[in-house]
Amino acid sequence: MTDRKDQKADGLSEAQAIERAKQGDGEAFEFLYNLHKRRVYSLCLRMTANTAEAEDLTQEAFLQLFRKIGTFRGESAFSTWLHRMAVNVVLMHLRKKGLPVVSLEETTEGDEDTPKKDFGADDPVLSGSVDRLRLQNAVDRLPPGYRTIFVLHDVEGYEHNEIATMIGCSIGNSKSQLHKARMKLRDFLKTSRAEKAG
Amino acid sequence: MTCAEFQRVLPDFLDEGGAGELQAHLNVCPICSALVASLQSIINEARMLQDSVEPSPRVWNSIEIALRREGLIRQPQPQHRAILPSLTRRWGYAAWLVPTAAAMLVGAAFFLYQRPANHRRVADNSHPQVMSSIPSGNASDTSDEQLLQEVSARAPMMRTAYESNLRDVNAYIRDAQDSVNANPNDAEAQQALMDAYGQKSMIYEMALDRSLQ
Repeated sequence: MTDRKDQKADGLSEAQAIERAKQGDGEAFEFLYNLHKRRVYSLCLRMTANTAEAEDLTQEAFLQLFRKIGTFRGESAFSTWLHRMAVNVVLMHLRKKGLPVVSLEETTEGDEDTPKKDFGADDPVLSGSVDRLRLQNAVDRLPPGYRTIFVLHDVEGYEHNEIATMIGCSIGNSKSQLHKARMKLRDFLKTSRAEKAG
Repeated sequence: MTCAEFQRVLPDFLDEGGAGELQAHLNVCPICSALVASLQSIINEARMLQDSVEPSPRVWNSIEIALRREGLIRQPQPQHRAILPSLTRRWGYAAWLVPTAAAMLVGAAFFLYQRPANHRRVADNSHPQVMSSIPSGNASDTSDEQLLQEVSARAPMMRTAYESNLRDVNAYIRDAQDSVNANPNDAEAQQALMDAYGQKSMIYEMALDRSLQ
């Protein structure tokens, strides 16, 4: 994940802002917020597909972080700390809503239940680039379990072992769900492309 | 290698790559090759979603209010301009209402804090009468409602945040007042009440100075 430890804006570095925030400097808090808000909000939005919920969760993630900022010692990147906190906030929210954090179509490693029916078809519509807006819409349409895995791995860059720990599933399950999520996205994109052309 | 065999290891191939037999199959199989290409394009574009959107200003506003309420922001707000001249421009007929309400709240706290010792002794026996001379909650409720009406009119998306924070700080004030009623000589209780009024005053100041542009 990106480490913006040396980010500078108006002469202030992230490390300086952290130290000032520990002293109660409001502008330092705001600086840190502006530095990371897009990343955190995008994560929340991708995983919930709801702007109001995403904003509430963004607020909660930053508040939890800022309340603990006095304990930050700099051993790891601040962004990593914040990001992990945001993921936990979202996952807790999804669990409270009763939404499956992992797809109910849980499989074990080695399962061969892949969509063979599509495998033999040529796929010219997705060759080349994928329109970002259509991809955003397609991600929003994913079932919550698939969406969680896809966002954490392909969007946010977590490894399967990390995802497995965060969500409480096996590494094999994480890989399987990710593959199914990607195949489903491919289906969505093919369908939307066909509708647009038709 | 058959297509089925390649399909079985496709997830690992996409994440970790592959050489030898896997690549050889792709070189000769247009179907598997097209599938890999489409999935790879999804993976490549997915990274671009990482920080592609921005939250509304109300998010920071709510965070700041909470941080101030919890005392995590301890430095005074920067005074970029005099508050009074800007009030009329932004608040019109209600220009004097909000700071008056805030001053009244702070004044009530000072009244309580500055009571002479003999009144405190009297309050030990008859504090309900003493406390009744402090401005009642009704004036405060009216000010809060007027503030929320202004927020609703000018920045409706922030109303919920201010409503929630006013509710919390009013509860804090009530609890602090109850503590002072029960223990009029308790300096800590009096300080807590001062802090509570101070936080409410801060919410009003923030609404004027930061939120309602």
